[in-house]
Amino acid sequence: MSEHDDWLAQAVEVLREPVRIDPALDRRVMAEIERGPAPDRPGWREVLRRPFGGQLAVTSPLGGLALAAAVALGALVGRTWLAPDSTEPPSTLGTMAASVAEAVQFVIVVPGATSVVLVGDFNDWSRTATPMRPADGDGVWAATVPLEAGRYRYAFLIDGTRWLTDPSAPRSLDDDFGPPNSVVTVGAT
Amino acid sequence: MRRITRWTIALVGAVTVGSASAHAQEPRLEGRIPEPARQTIDLLLDSARARGLPTEPLVDRALEGAIKGAPGDRIVAAVRRLAGELETARAVLGDASAAEELIAGASALRAGADPDALAELRRARPAQSLTVATSVLADLVAVGVPVDTAVSAVLSLATGAEDADYIAFRRNVERDVALGASPVAALGVRLDAVAAEADLGTGAGRTVAAPRKP
Repeated sequence: MSEHDDWLAQAVEVLREPVRIDPALDRRVMAEIERGPAPDRPGWREVLRRPFGGQLAVTSPLGGLALAAAVALGALVGRTWLAPDSTEPPSTLGTMAASVAEAVQFVIVVPGATSVVLVGDFNDWSRTATPMRPADGDGVWAATVPLEAGRYRYAFLIDGTRWLTDPSAPRSLDDDFGPPNSVVTVGAT
Repeated sequence: MRRITRWTIALVGAVTVGSASAHAQEPRLEGRIPEPARQTIDLLLDSARARGLPTEPLVDRALEGAIKGAPGDRIVAAVRRLAGELETARAVLGDASAAEELIAGASALRAGADPDALAELRRARPAQSLTVATSVLADLVAVGVPVDTAVSAVLSLATGAEDADYIAFRRNVERDVALGASPVAALGVRLDAVAAEADLGTGAGRTVAAPRKP
């Protein structure tokens, strides 16, 4: 294995680490939503008209992540507050919060491929549902799929004709149709 | 008499047509599974539904066969076999088992696990999901651990291990095997490590019981 391959393998290993969201986030979001609009909350127009005097400084990647989470949370809650004719939070938010899915990143290195599609139990084995994107010019392809707890079988379809298993995932033993599959197991969060 | 016969024929015809169209057709199979096979699979789905089995894994299996270009009879055979495995999994894991537990349980059975071993696992973890534990069992067999050894290892971790512990355990064994260790040796080393961690109480809040060696 060349040094370049080593580097790619390490990059794949890092990219493959699941993105874990703090389980307490749901509770915090729901608590915020259930609390409802504060009686003295200013209208959104008033907020927009206020002069912006703060200073924005992101000093670390973690800080950036926290800021992004805060912006996302703000957007979510803000959408509720800004919804016209809305007197209470939409019930779909509760459904979204109750259904916890983990963002699972799939990565494969296929130099020279023109298309790579991720197919599996999670997308009805569709040739079109989850095309992978080239992460860079070195043949690294990636896709992220939200998966709830469970065991899923999958494979990569290269250029519409060639099947590949994931070299860094367990092989499925229940392959009934020839080309083997890989397995990803998502635990409850 | 003639009128009665006519009404009888009409009634029988209506019942026949009604029963023929009563079974639900899975829309995702339409156009992807060859026609005679699709009808049989729809019947298998109906049967599974009537028995309270999850149908989603059966649809997935059929669609996998379709995308891989398998002939219809082979797809039907695979769906039928999986339905049987799901039913066995439910029989040993319990009627209240979640669909994902049955799917993982079926995989463990396909890997060669004895149904009694799954029942024992349920007894050891009565209030916890068995999805990850049984899935890890199948994964360990897939990397070359003998099935009895894999069963014993998963059972030895059953008291107190969380899903993340099982996944980390499997990942470590796989890594060791990839680096050249024999599957059995890798499993033994990792079980020893878990036992040592439990003995020292350095499990960072985990309460994994000290495993017994398979």
